[in-house]
Amino acid sequence: MKKIFMGLAVVLLTLGLCVSTATAKEDIVFAETALITGVFGFAGGELHEGIVDYFNYTNENGGIRGHKIKHVFEDCGYKVDCSVATFKKLTAEHNPLFYSGDSTGFMKAINPELQATKNTLMSGVSYASELTDETKYPRSFIIGPSYTDQMSILLTYAAKEMPGAKVAIVHSDSGFGRDPIEAGKAKAKELGLDLVEVITTKPGSVDVSTEVLKLRRKKPDYVLFHGYVLTPINEFMQQMKDLGMATKFMGTYWSSSELMYMKAKEVSDGYLGVMHLNYFNMEKSPGKEWDAMRAYNAKVHPDKLTRPNFYMFGWFQGMVWAEVIGRTVDAGKELTVDNLRATLNSIENWDTGGIASVPVTVRNNSIPFGRVFKVNAAEGRYEPVSEVIEIK
Amino acid sequence: MDWLFFFESSIAGLATGAIYSLVALGFVIIYKATRVINFAIGEIMMISAYLFLTFAGILEWHPLIALPLAMLGGGLLGSVTEKLIIRPMLGESPISVVMVTIGLSSILVGAAQIIWGPGPRILPDFLPRAPIFIGELYVSSKIAYSALIAIGLLVCYLIYFRFSRGGVALRATASDQAAAFSMGISVPKVFNYAWFFGSMAAALAGVLVAASGGLSPYSGSMALSILVVVIFGGLDSLTGALVGGLLVGWLETMTGAFLGGEYKMLTIFTLLTFVLVLKPYGLFGTKEIERL
Repeated sequence: MKKIFMGLAVVLLTLGLCVSTATAKEDIVFAETALITGVFGFAGGELHEGIVDYFNYTNENGGIRGHKIKHVFEDCGYKVDCSVATFKKLTAEHNPLFYSGDSTGFMKAINPELQATKNTLMSGVSYASELTDETKYPRSFIIGPSYTDQMSILLTYAAKEMPGAKVAIVHSDSGFGRDPIEAGKAKAKELGLDLVEVITTKPGSVDVSTEVLKLRRKKPDYVLFHGYVLTPINEFMQQMKDLGMATKFMGTYWSSSELMYMKAKEVSDGYLGVMHLNYFNMEKSPGKEWDAMRAYNAKVHPDKLTRPNFYMFGWFQGMVWAEVIGRTVDAGKELTVDNLRATLNSIENWDTGGIASVPVTVRNNSIPFGRVFKVNAAEGRYEPVSEVIEIK
Repeated sequence: MDWLFFFESSIAGLATGAIYSLVALGFVIIYKATRVINFAIGEIMMISAYLFLTFAGILEWHPLIALPLAMLGGGLLGSVTEKLIIRPMLGESPISVVMVTIGLSSILVGAAQIIWGPGPRILPDFLPRAPIFIGELYVSSKIAYSALIAIGLLVCYLIYFRFSRGGVALRATASDQAAAFSMGISVPKVFNYAWFFGSMAAALAGVLVAASGGLSPYSGSMALSILVVVIFGGLDSLTGALVGGLLVGWLETMTGAFLGGEYKMLTIFTLLTFVLVLKPYGLFGTKEIERL
């Protein structure tokens, strides 16, 4: 009897060990060059917190098919040399499967090394049009529409709302600012819009009175801004409204944040932004995942009653890669870069539960969809004014 | 040729130039007295604009109180910097002193991020907003009033430095420190006054620039482009600062208006190159002869 009891105990112990080995799945490492300090720290800090919160939320809910996410990061303050060094360090120490970059410059600079190592997929803060070329950037991915697509979405909206409208483009004199301009000019022509002026300004704090003089003469129906976050867009709007012009103003992702109505106040009323995500303070819940995100925020950040779209971007970035891991595991495939890439490219009409404002379909190394939102300054929120616009 | 556009752009350019002159004056006053090129002047502008934001925007004090206080804050920041950081560096190589001012600029950027946060801010409206029309000719009210305020301070400074005892002491110290000292002028006090007045001019320019261009901890970087004005006009010339500021502001604006914004820097730096080749000490700078 004693021998039988001992034997049973050994069998149970062995079984228990086997089960625990089988359930304790390997952690998946997500590394990040964070953008907490530096010139874009105000946006990068929120973006980083969005990533952190999403992974914590996921881990607290059992991980992704049993895999927990290990998130490692270092801040580089938007300096490419630091980002490159950090990439080397974090990949050597942690061999991450996913990496989030902090600038277009970094994502371009690291591309040859990323292709050579073949262990990591990358996304990041960049929407640079060049990254849509998958043959050139097979390990990188844009979490949203490229700058060219963002501009095309806005122009498509303008063409639909006012066929043949007069449009002016104002952009900053930087790589970021120049990115979609030539494609935007071609798109405006294709859509039958009358592109009356293209204005280049210095990035950031500038006097725009001369540029307003030009716009006053051209009387555009729409002015489309690209390459800014807030200033000098507010000053353009202020001066042109003071002149009694009925022009509508629109801008791409980075200038479609809550900063617009929080800082520019009533001047920003009616401003049109392009967005592939929903905002944190939508009037009505767009879905269950959005509710879950809000609830998680209320739990861990009770002092933060609202979050900017940069935070939503961070959350969404984590969510995209989690979906890719989940689908790959469900398909019974190994979590290799090639398998994950194939899974990513196969995503079609994914319902994100209200985090994205569009059904997510991956095409051209990006998600070339967006909606146009309009600032309601009195209510302090963006409201959707268009259906989903897809750029083919 | 649209002459109306030409004149409108010219006025806008000269108005911008007046603000450039004010910043340039801040550079020149400090350099003239102490031979220090203050690379932190942009950050002093930025901190002063944040002070204005605090007084007028957060504490909601009247702009007529907030503006002088912000200027005073900027002046005091310059004065304290001179006393605590620059004065102990006297006698060290000019490069070391310049490096100290560059380091100071980083500290001020960091301090602004800690105190006011890293995001962009917009100053409360304190200048009249109604567009100004002179016949058909349109002038942006913000830039016009900013220019008038800048010109007002420039005139005050010129009168002060030309006729007051302090101004004479400054000019005497700039010409010959030893002679000034032997005549009973307190040279360290003059140094401190120069930093105070130079920083105060920059402080006003900082508020005026932020009023139309917005504000962030990195706004101070615009002062580096004013260095072109200073080199162009002559590092130790008040007249150079005034003429240089107006000329560079006008040229930059006209380039933007007629060629496009992408050609602004190209035009300005081409002009600077020509001036440096033809007149290495700037248009109005003192020609220094070094005997070896």
